[in-house]
Amino acid sequence: MKFVDEFRDAEIGRAVAMDILSMVEPGRHYKLMEVCGGHTHSIYKYGIDDLLPANVELVHGPGCPVCVIPMGRVDDGIAIAHHDGVTFTCFGDMMRVPGSNGSLLDAKAAGADIRMVYSPLDALRIAKQNPDREVVFFAIGFETTAPSTALTLKRARAEHVRNFSVMCSHVTIVPPLKALLESPDLRLDGFIGPGHVSTVVGGRPFQFIPADYGKPIVIAGFEPLDILQAIAMILRQLSDGRCEVENQYKRVVPYEGNLRALEVMAEVFELRPHFEWRGLGFISHSGLKLSDAYADLDAEVRFSVPGVRVADPKACQCGEVLKGVIKPWECKVFGTACTPERPIGTCMVSSEGACAAYYNFGRFAREREVV
Amino acid sequence: MTVVLVDDARGLALCEDADGTRATVEIALVGAVAPDDNLLVHAGTALTRLERSR
Repeated sequence: MKFVDEFRDAEIGRAVAMDILSMVEPGRHYKLMEVCGGHTHSIYKYGIDDLLPANVELVHGPGCPVCVIPMGRVDDGIAIAHHDGVTFTCFGDMMRVPGSNGSLLDAKAAGADIRMVYSPLDALRIAKQNPDREVVFFAIGFETTAPSTALTLKRARAEHVRNFSVMCSHVTIVPPLKALLESPDLRLDGFIGPGHVSTVVGGRPFQFIPADYGKPIVIAGFEPLDILQAIAMILRQLSDGRCEVENQYKRVVPYEGNLRALEVMAEVFELRPHFEWRGLGFISHSGLKLSDAYADLDAEVRFSVPGVRVADPKACQCGEVLKGVIKPWECKVFGTACTPERPIGTCMVSSEGACAAYYNFGRFAREREVV
Repeated sequence: MTVVLVDDARGLALCEDADGTRATVEIALVGAVAPDDNLLVHAGTALTRLERSR
């Protein structure tokens, strides 16, 4: 398949793995964070960590959009869904994220009109087809997804669709990276940069990583050869004593990003003073809300929500997993009380979550090692 | 996804993925597109046009 097969070639993969092996210094431990949940998924799906030398460790970052939504936001969504006349729409993964008293899927089973959509445009279509219903879209995701919500809001405004609104839980990628780099828990040697977020924001927002923290970052695609090559590029920078933003994913990511997407986001959204991240706590200027010009389409203005902060279950260690402090299998409830079928934490819900990815693709390899 | 049909007036395109699944896609962020163009689509919006030369 075009744009796919050429990035899964086993022979080239072996050559890049040998290249990586030749670059690592014996006795030095390399800790590289893959920021994006899509990378985490690919790493486990294709067994990329098995191709790396033992002293190159991949640490999973906070870039899974479903994983970082705190329980209180799920409760807010369920509260809106229970309003009379409301049809609540969200992405499929989001329906299974536990709140303090069940998930959106549980609320749907209890009678609320909650529907899965693939895009905000689908939610707008439901609104146009059901003018007697108030249709709310639960918007989550990083800069990759935010332009889609912004364009849909502009379309709703242009087409005078008045029964449509958005509960905005979009987040931005740079603030949590800064928080992680400031964290004393974690000493990282470099970053595999987020591919699709960079399609929108470009490479410039990541300049602070080499400039202020002296770490290399390589923006990478999601096929196995993309990730292996990005690791090789990071190790090459470390070996050369360089640190800069490099772009492995040039076939998709222009350095300047997508200027039209940035313009439409700037028109429709503004930064919240604070936003709560699951496991990471409150991070300043890290979440988006609708700008004043679009406040009439803001579901949190249109409907009352509890807005209460809810602590994660004590057994759940998603916070440590999201910060890369522990591996998924080191969580006390991994694979026992917490599974993709009955998740306790968000990292076990989404296919981009480190726990779900490891559960689905990696756990048998680890059992082989133990045996 | 591959572009099948373009509705310039509404800024939308009908696109098809490798499995044959079709979806309506916002094309406002990628400029003019034509049938057989390959687009990177995320949450119903085309973010970039894929070109082998890059």
